[in-house]
Amino acid sequence: MKRSLGSNSSNNSGSGSNKKSKKNNNPSNQKTLGAAWGAASSRSSFRSSPFSDFGSYMEVKNRKLQNQFETEASAASRGVSGSEKLIFQGVSIFVDGFTIPSHQELKGYMMKYGGRFENYFSRRSVTHIICSNLPDSKVKNLRTFSRGLPVVKPTWIVDSISANRLLGWVPYQLDQLNDTQPKLSAFFAPRSHLTPQMASPVTSFQPDTGYSEAEEGSSIRADDSEEARDHIDDEIDGVYIENTTPELTEQTGTGDLKSSEMNAEGLGNYDIEEKEVSSELQSTTNLHSTSDNKSVHANGKNGGKSIATAAGSSTRRHSTLEDPNFVENYFKNSRLHFIGTWRNRYRKRFHGSSNGLKWADSGQNTAEMAKKSTIIHIDLDCFFVSVVIKNRLELHDKPVAVCHSDNPKGTAEISSANYPARAYGVKAGMFVRHAKDLCPQLVIVPYNFEAYEEVADQFYDILHRHCRKVQALSCDEAFLDVSDLSDVETEVLASTIRNEILETTGCSASAGIGGTMLMARLATRVAKPAGQLYISAEKVEEFLDQLPVGTLPGVGSVLKEKLVKQNIQTCGQLRLISKDSLQKDFGVKTGEMLWSYSRGLDLRSVTAVQESKSIGAEVNWGVRFRDQQDVFILVQHFLQCLCKEVSLRLQGCEMIGRTFTLKIKKRKKDAEEPTKYMGCGDCDNLSRSITVPAATDDIEVLQRISKKLFGSFCLDVKEVRGVGLQVSKLDSADPSNKGSRTLKSWLSSAPAVVQIEQDDNVFAAKVRENSDCNRPVTGGVSRLRESNSEESSIQSGDTNSSLPPMCYLDMEVLENLPPELLSELDGTYGGKLFELIEKKRGKRRINCNSPHVSLDGTAASIKELKSLSVKIHGLSTSGEKEYKEPYVPHPSIARTSNQHTIEMTDLLPSSLSQVDVSVLQELPEELRADVLGAFPSHRRQQSSSDVPKETCKKQDEEPIDLKGTENEIGLSFSSLWFGNPPLWTEKFKVSGNCTMEKLSAIYFKVAQSRPMLSLVLQHAISEMSSFPDAASASDLDKAIYDVCELLKQYINLKVGGDIEEIYLCFRLLKRLAARSQLFLQVYEILSPFIQASISEHYGGSLSIP
Amino acid sequence: MSRKDDNQSGEVGRTLVDFMEVAITMIVYLKGFYPSAAFERRRYMNVVVQRARHPELRDYIHSAASGLLPFIEKGLVERVAVVFFSEDNVPVERFIFKITIKPSCAALVEEGQLEFALRSFLIKLSVSKSLVKPLPLNCRWEVTAYLRSLPQVGSSKEAELWIPTDTKQWQNPPVLTPVKSLNSEPLCLQLYLEHPSLSEPLNLVNPEDVAPHDP
Repeated sequence: MKRSLGSNSSNNSGSGSNKKSKKNNNPSNQKTLGAAWGAASSRSSFRSSPFSDFGSYMEVKNRKLQNQFETEASAASRGVSGSEKLIFQGVSIFVDGFTIPSHQELKGYMMKYGGRFENYFSRRSVTHIICSNLPDSKVKNLRTFSRGLPVVKPTWIVDSISANRLLGWVPYQLDQLNDTQPKLSAFFAPRSHLTPQMASPVTSFQPDTGYSEAEEGSSIRADDSEEARDHIDDEIDGVYIENTTPELTEQTGTGDLKSSEMNAEGLGNYDIEEKEVSSELQSTTNLHSTSDNKSVHANGKNGGKSIATAAGSSTRRHSTLEDPNFVENYFKNSRLHFIGTWRNRYRKRFHGSSNGLKWADSGQNTAEMAKKSTIIHIDLDCFFVSVVIKNRLELHDKPVAVCHSDNPKGTAEISSANYPARAYGVKAGMFVRHAKDLCPQLVIVPYNFEAYEEVADQFYDILHRHCRKVQALSCDEAFLDVSDLSDVETEVLASTIRNEILETTGCSASAGIGGTMLMARLATRVAKPAGQLYISAEKVEEFLDQLPVGTLPGVGSVLKEKLVKQNIQTCGQLRLISKDSLQKDFGVKTGEMLWSYSRGLDLRSVTAVQESKSIGAEVNWGVRFRDQQDVFILVQHFLQCLCKEVSLRLQGCEMIGRTFTLKIKKRKKDAEEPTKYMGCGDCDNLSRSITVPAATDDIEVLQRISKKLFGSFCLDVKEVRGVGLQVSKLDSADPSNKGSRTLKSWLSSAPAVVQIEQDDNVFAAKVRENSDCNRPVTGGVSRLRESNSEESSIQSGDTNSSLPPMCYLDMEVLENLPPELLSELDGTYGGKLFELIEKKRGKRRINCNSPHVSLDGTAASIKELKSLSVKIHGLSTSGEKEYKEPYVPHPSIARTSNQHTIEMTDLLPSSLSQVDVSVLQELPEELRADVLGAFPSHRRQQSSSDVPKETCKKQDEEPIDLKGTENEIGLSFSSLWFGNPPLWTEKFKVSGNCTMEKLSAIYFKVAQSRPMLSLVLQHAISEMSSFPDAASASDLDKAIYDVCELLKQYINLKVGGDIEEIYLCFRLLKRLAARSQLFLQVYEILSPFIQASISEHYGGSLSIP
Repeated sequence: MSRKDDNQSGEVGRTLVDFMEVAITMIVYLKGFYPSAAFERRRYMNVVVQRARHPELRDYIHSAASGLLPFIEKGLVERVAVVFFSEDNVPVERFIFKITIKPSCAALVEEGQLEFALRSFLIKLSVSKSLVKPLPLNCRWEVTAYLRSLPQVGSSKEAELWIPTDTKQWQNPPVLTPVKSLNSEPLCLQLYLEHPSLSEPLNLVNPEDVAPHDP
């Protein structure tokens, strides 16, 4: 009961505050990470691994996990107050797939409340399967999947904990399974598992009226919730109503203070993102409802409405979570975005038309005349405020600040304040809350971007009218180089400009005049507001003497602190220090800068706006992705919007770029939710980039690349706090340069659906015919000719681009493709490809006199073939020499067959007699088994009977020839293990000895295609409790001899490579020896043989347990 | 084509070296030579393995393993042993990796398959605690490689990390306990334990130069 709220809220996990509680619940978070892998890997994959005894391994592992769980569980229940009821006694859950809360959390709950948690599904131990979502295949085959066990949603556990008793699981059955009554289950578990729906009712009813769009309303809600937090201890019961099942509310309605404290804590721990807001909003609503006393059941929605409307503001969806147009709105409301894009606007407006380029060139010359130069720095006074209030006379001498959001909570940052406000100490970057503390009558106004744009344009119009050399710093700030305007007095000019600005725009400007850009700028600072100051060369020192170092541009807080530590407060003090020691202390560049700035020197000259090096967009506010099923769609959508923005910006600048950098801000591990509402907080910055050969501004390419980049971070989307996309290596987008189109074709993947001109086939074959043989072989899809027909590339609207028509395909490349790829391609061409190839091949064969040409051509492809055909000679006449050939000719080509289609099976020779046995022997066992298995059954019979006789002589690589007796006997023994099934099975089957017959039978019974002997022996132990020994002594002797031979050959086969298998067999043999006379004798005979053999190879003897 | 083989066997060598680094760490961890807090869990080839936290230990293992690469690429390395010594420098337990790389077949096996096979070593190692003997007090350990022939001196910079050495050997042939074997095309790898045989006298002779070991 006490944890009800917390566990409900835990649906949204991943916030910083959440982490703490998580830790408490499962101290074992890390220990079972590998579990999922183990469960997922199929048995068959294990079979092909050298790890043979999967079953026993799993048994041990399960036992270990069980023990671990128990110790942790006892620790956990001891750790907590101990008052927890063991509500899950007898319940044992298995969590399938992704759940909310995570399976780790569920495990923690089970641990705490007396349940069990199984890492691996087992019908025996599991009682409930927990999952939130099932794939269709599992839903269809539910019984196979669940084995009749209830499949329940995780909320069951959460709610049971809230209720402090084991609730019936039926209402919690997975929705997918009881589609008939989804409403009922939704009723029983209101909202707690449907977080996406939860937010919508709260937000949807609120009218969208306010002036500041995105952030405004949300902050109001946040504020509400903060109030709520203050009251939460008293009013917590209300929260309950929202978050728990109806039956619960009656209990909690009378809830004591203690429990409400717990809940408050739980709330504090679990709340995040807008879920936090909404749940807290509900708490406020219930604040009201409980103050109405008994109306405990008051609807949270209504309450919420009243609050929100009382606040009288709009509520916009304010994070990536809820707002599909978040990115768009974000940029619509971003001042930085305005400044950033303004630059491009300015460049387009003035750069092209004015003669900017010319003077940019001459600018270098003026650098040497720097002493004589005069520079005006002109800056509109508190631009962002004054533009807004210029038409609102009533505000003129009131303290006003611009902020994207004016809400009572005041967690928004002030971006600009006017001078009356500054007098109170209000500064840019301050939280509204703090500003209002300083100045209660402060008026907050929203941005007015259209007005800004207008004023900035007017501002620059004026500047350009008066001066040719204008360097725009920002929309409200510029440098003018007036050195060559000797006919006008500089100060007069400055005041003319200022007056004109005031008249035209209604905003005052300040100007600083100095010999360098630095001095001009510093002068402006003093001149503000609405003034101007000229610092002549003689006055520079005087001016700088008392200037605090922190005011120099380029001296930030860190550098300032360092300087202050050295007891340097003013530029005058700074000037006393030599350049060398400055450079020593602060680095070459910084030292140089400090040295010259403290003397008023500044080598920079006024230049036109530089071409930007990169264009991009970044969203670091309000980025929250929650754990939910469609989170990836949300992320994708978000990326798409970002790409759209970037693409628009690129197009705005008429630029295209080649390098794309995706920057991610990822919440630092221990970072709490930031103070700034929905801010990014303390983040790790990650970035990755990709460079493509052709520059582009195409939105689709951007989207694809950004998706790829995002994927490469492999991070938890919940942790993402900011995403930025930057495009660099820019090129101007010349209309004749079809960058995006080339790129599209570059990125295109071959298999795609497209129409084919069918008539081209024959033509194609002929066209390609001549050049074929000379063409170097460079296999791969890339050689498929790209279509150069305009239509088809246009036709490919999305990421897929078209297939080239068949006439453009390079036959040689096609033939060298791996068969899988080829058949895939063939599929996309509707089966025409194979025909073409066949036709082609027939002709080639006539043309090429030497078969080696075609062999060479295929050699490369054979190397790439994964298929088994690699090691099999297609040539039935394969002679001794060819064994040593580094490559094996492609069978289907080497054979001059006239088959019309290529099928996989045709890559295999028609019978085993064509198989090179030595090659076969070299194959790894599994592969060999597969090869042999690939032959039809009649072929296999051949393999066991006549093949060995034919090919025995070729097997000289195995030192199996034991006796050195008659050639034939020795060799027939040597092949005891050859073939599939190996020869001995046949031999043992007809031996007449029941033990041997049994061994043979077991061999066939063991499911694996080519079992190891150890497996056979293992089965023998379990299946044969007693071995009837052969009646006559001579029979026994023969049997012993045969078994010994079998084992010896096996040992000789394996001793070099698989000591583990020998060890296993050895130990199994020992166990068998305890039961059977036959095996006892075999063991006694073989024991020294094995040890000698091992000693020979490994210089030691096997330890016998 | 032979160049392709070289590349391939180089690839195998690199995989093997990586694997050795992990496996050696696992062995040291398994032996409990250092407190378990000196290791942290990591994922390698998709299995949970241990990694040394202490940079020097990590460096030692890393350099030992990666220093072998040139020799492995030349096919010189026959065995790599992780040897645990008692206080009086008598080996008490040796983990032997017996390596055979068949360069001729190197092109055959895919990286993924090899990794899959090597992974089973790590899995087996992690559950092999029962096979190993408890450590004596004041023990130490080292990595020794046995080469098929002496490498040319100064053949590469990396190779200089490894120095020729004498090793103490048991008088009697040791007792082997196989842990895991891999017998695949480019790479044959066997991991087994060597313990002194029961009849082993306690004081050892120091036979003349046995490492690099000549087969």
